Amino acid sequence: MSASDKATPPPALTARAAGLVGCQSCGRVHERGVETCTRCGAALHSRMPDSLQKVWAWLFAGMVVYIPANIYPMLQTSSLGRTTQSTIIGGVVELIEYGSIGVALIVFVASVLIPVGKFVAIGYLALVVRPGSRWRKGTGFHGRQHLFEVVEFIGRWSMIDVFVVAILSALVQLDFAATINPGIAAVSFSLSVAFTMLAAQSFDPRLIWDVEEAKAV
Amino acid sequence: MSYQDPAEMKVDPPKRSFWRNLSLIWLVPLVAVVISLGIAWQTFAARGVQIEILFDNASGVTPGDTIIRFRDVGIGTVEDVQFTSDLSQVLVTASIDRAVADTLPEDARFWVVQPEVSARGITGLSTVLSGVYIETSFVPTSGAAARSFTGTATGPLVREGQQGTRITMRTREANRVSEGAPILFRGIEVGHIEAPRLILSGESVVFDAFIEAPHDRRLTTATRFWDTSGFSVSFGASGLSLNVGNLAALLTGGIAFDTVFSGGEPLNPGYVFDLFPDEASARQSLFRSVGANAVEMSTEFEGSVSGLEVGAAVQYRGLRVGEVRAIGAVLAEDTARPEVRLLTTVALDPQAIGLPVEAGAERLIGFLEEAVEQGLRARLSTSSLFSAALIIELAELPVDEVAPAELERRENGMAVLPSIPSDLPDFTATAEGVLERINALPVEELMNQAVRLMASIEMVVSSEGTRQAPDEALALIRDIRGLVGGEDAQALPGELRAGLAELRGMVEELRLRDAVDRLMDVLDNVETVTANTATASEDFPELVEDLRALIARASGVEVEELAAAATRVLNSADQLIGSDEMRQLPPALARALDEVQQVLADLREGEAVENVNRTLVSARAAADAVAEAMNSLPALTQRLDRLVGQADGLIASYGSRSDFNSEAMQVMREFRETARAVTQLARTIERNPNSLLLGR
Repeated sequence: MSASDKATPPPALTARAAGLVGCQSCGRVHERGVETCTRCGAALHSRMPDSLQKVWAWLFAGMVVYIPANIYPMLQTSSLGRTTQSTIIGGVVELIEYGSIGVALIVFVASVLIPVGKFVAIGYLALVVRPGSRWRKGTGFHGRQHLFEVVEFIGRWSMIDVFVVAILSALVQLDFAATINPGIAAVSFSLSVAFTMLAAQSFDPRLIWDVEEAKAV
Repeated sequence: MSYQDPAEMKVDPPKRSFWRNLSLIWLVPLVAVVISLGIAWQTFAARGVQIEILFDNASGVTPGDTIIRFRDVGIGTVEDVQFTSDLSQVLVTASIDRAVADTLPEDARFWVVQPEVSARGITGLSTVLSGVYIETSFVPTSGAAARSFTGTATGPLVREGQQGTRITMRTREANRVSEGAPILFRGIEVGHIEAPRLILSGESVVFDAFIEAPHDRRLTTATRFWDTSGFSVSFGASGLSLNVGNLAALLTGGIAFDTVFSGGEPLNPGYVFDLFPDEASARQSLFRSVGANAVEMSTEFEGSVSGLEVGAAVQYRGLRVGEVRAIGAVLAEDTARPEVRLLTTVALDPQAIGLPVEAGAERLIGFLEEAVEQGLRARLSTSSLFSAALIIELAELPVDEVAPAELERRENGMAVLPSIPSDLPDFTATAEGVLERINALPVEELMNQAVRLMASIEMVVSSEGTRQAPDEALALIRDIRGLVGGEDAQALPGELRAGLAELRGMVEELRLRDAVDRLMDVLDNVETVTANTATASEDFPELVEDLRALIARASGVEVEELAAAATRVLNSADQLIGSDEMRQLPPALARALDEVQQVLADLREGEAVENVNRTLVSARAAADAVAEAMNSLPALTQRLDRLVGQADGLIASYGSRSDFNSEAMQVMREFRETARAVTQLARTIERNPNSLLLGR
């Protein structure tokens, strides 16, 4: 903690302080007050408008749909007239019972740990960048920046479970002998992943540094 | 007046409202929440209602897997299987479709369907692959909504809501009927038996049966049920008869029914049928409804009633009118010394006695009171000669022969019929008596006689005479064959042929006589003369008369008769030849007959008859010509007279006076006789071949 604080460089001049706005599409620098980029025509914002609101909204939506994703069955396996339904956690437990601990671990990490971790991470970031937040002690600015990057990168990997279901449903359609169909949870889970990814994208990482700026002022 | 500046106005920038600050992006989580809640609601609505079913065992029932079906459609799933707290039963928790659960009545039946192979076929085959399921059967009752049930081991034989009639049957023992056994009507399965059960008193077995819908219309009080299980062998006056029912009935027992008399009435609720041991006894029983409105009364017997059983018949004038319900001993209190009387309770059917259907106990007792005054008494008698079983007979005896008695009424409302000692000397000895009677039968003698009869028959059969009989018959046949093949028989055609030759000669003679030609010439002359004569003769009418006589005589010639006779002979001969017997005769005979036929044909085709006809036609023409002539010359008349005389002679030679005719007739007649004799012989042999053997 102290190390990260020490690593923090002395306050630098920001674009906003200099009265400039950089285009987020092409990077051209404009005077403040210019509405659209003179080069590429994109809208110019010094900070993304309503960024935190959007983050919270997407995050909340993601968390809402994550609930049915865990309650409802992910897979419906019909074999010789018997239909079995398995949820994410149920599938993990079954895999452990069958002894495939490795696969169980992968599924658990991809389907439970990563999404939940993402919720926590995004929520944390959104809380921290609020002015006057009390949660800042744990991490330095660089730590938060890293955290954000990791969240953005890892988001897509939690789709691994959805892909498995999609492939199995497409392949195993043997009528009476064996059939695998996706359950409601598959849709919910993929929606949840998509929503959290959108939440991460809506987050303006510049907000992380604005806090330092405010502190310096 | 001072001028004041207005106070400084404090202007705040318009405060942005919280709602205006809100981004549209919040719609996304809102929609997500709504959708999630929707899914949750749907799940909750479809979750079903929990019910609990108690089973003795739940083999094959798996939580989450076993389906509960109603009319073979899944309505729920088993969610949990666990023991009751005392481990005595299995508690199956299942969730049932909400709509169905609301109509579940308390008496809904649940049972586990498993594959089963029985005499009546294989059931539950579908569960081999899919696993067992729990089937339920109930009458949907809206608002019933029962939640806990007790499962049964097997399903009901009759589905709830199935159309039909449930009846109750009573039998003495149910060792030949089992649950599910078919009820047959003329060999077609129309119902089932349900599990037999003992009635509380243990006296008989009662079971329910279900008759399916269109067939239950046949059920009336006149319907009789009988046991068709297994096979029955009966030996009676009509010989040995073996009855085998259908295979399922053979294995599981079966019951057949039929309406044995007309005029049955519709069933009342609670009507109990009796199950008869076989069809014959079912059909013989005209004993209708003991039990429905039977009147119980008792009668006391002195001495032993061994042989009398519960269910034994009470007969009145040979008709079964009731049955024995109970037999017990009572201590008679009205006598000086202790005396045990045997009190028999009988049930009498008013209807069987002939009282109207609605007649109750009072009416029957009233009837019996009068009858007792007239000498009606109860007494024991044997049901049949060779049986020790007793029945109660309501005997009508002359009033002066019996001690006066009356129908006594006890305090408990039970009427007591007076009884008289039976004419059976010792009831217990009845069986022995029967045996003695059998012993006394001259069985030995009978057997000896039979043996002797057998011996005699054997003797007759083995005697030389009997053995030679066939030989003699053969010899006789041989003789006949010899006779037929003998010279006499063989000569017959020869003789025939000779006769025919004669006949033929005669015909030839006839033909050679030239008489016809002469007649023709004469007539030609007549015609010439007639042509020459222009005027008619005075005595012409006379001539005409003569001519008419001539013509009449010519008509009288027996040629036609001859031909007819010949035809008859021919017919006879034809018949003779056509008959099978004649074919066996030497072909020479057939040839001879052919010849006869030919001769007769010749005769018929021969010119003779035709010539005569032609002559006659000419003669008539001539006569007509003459008749036309008004005047005839005397000379001409004379010539004509001569001519007529000649013609007369000619015709006479053809006529009945001719030898030819009679001869031919005679030959024919003889031949006919011969043919008839042969035919007769052949017929006789054909009709009565025995005559050959018997020599007659």
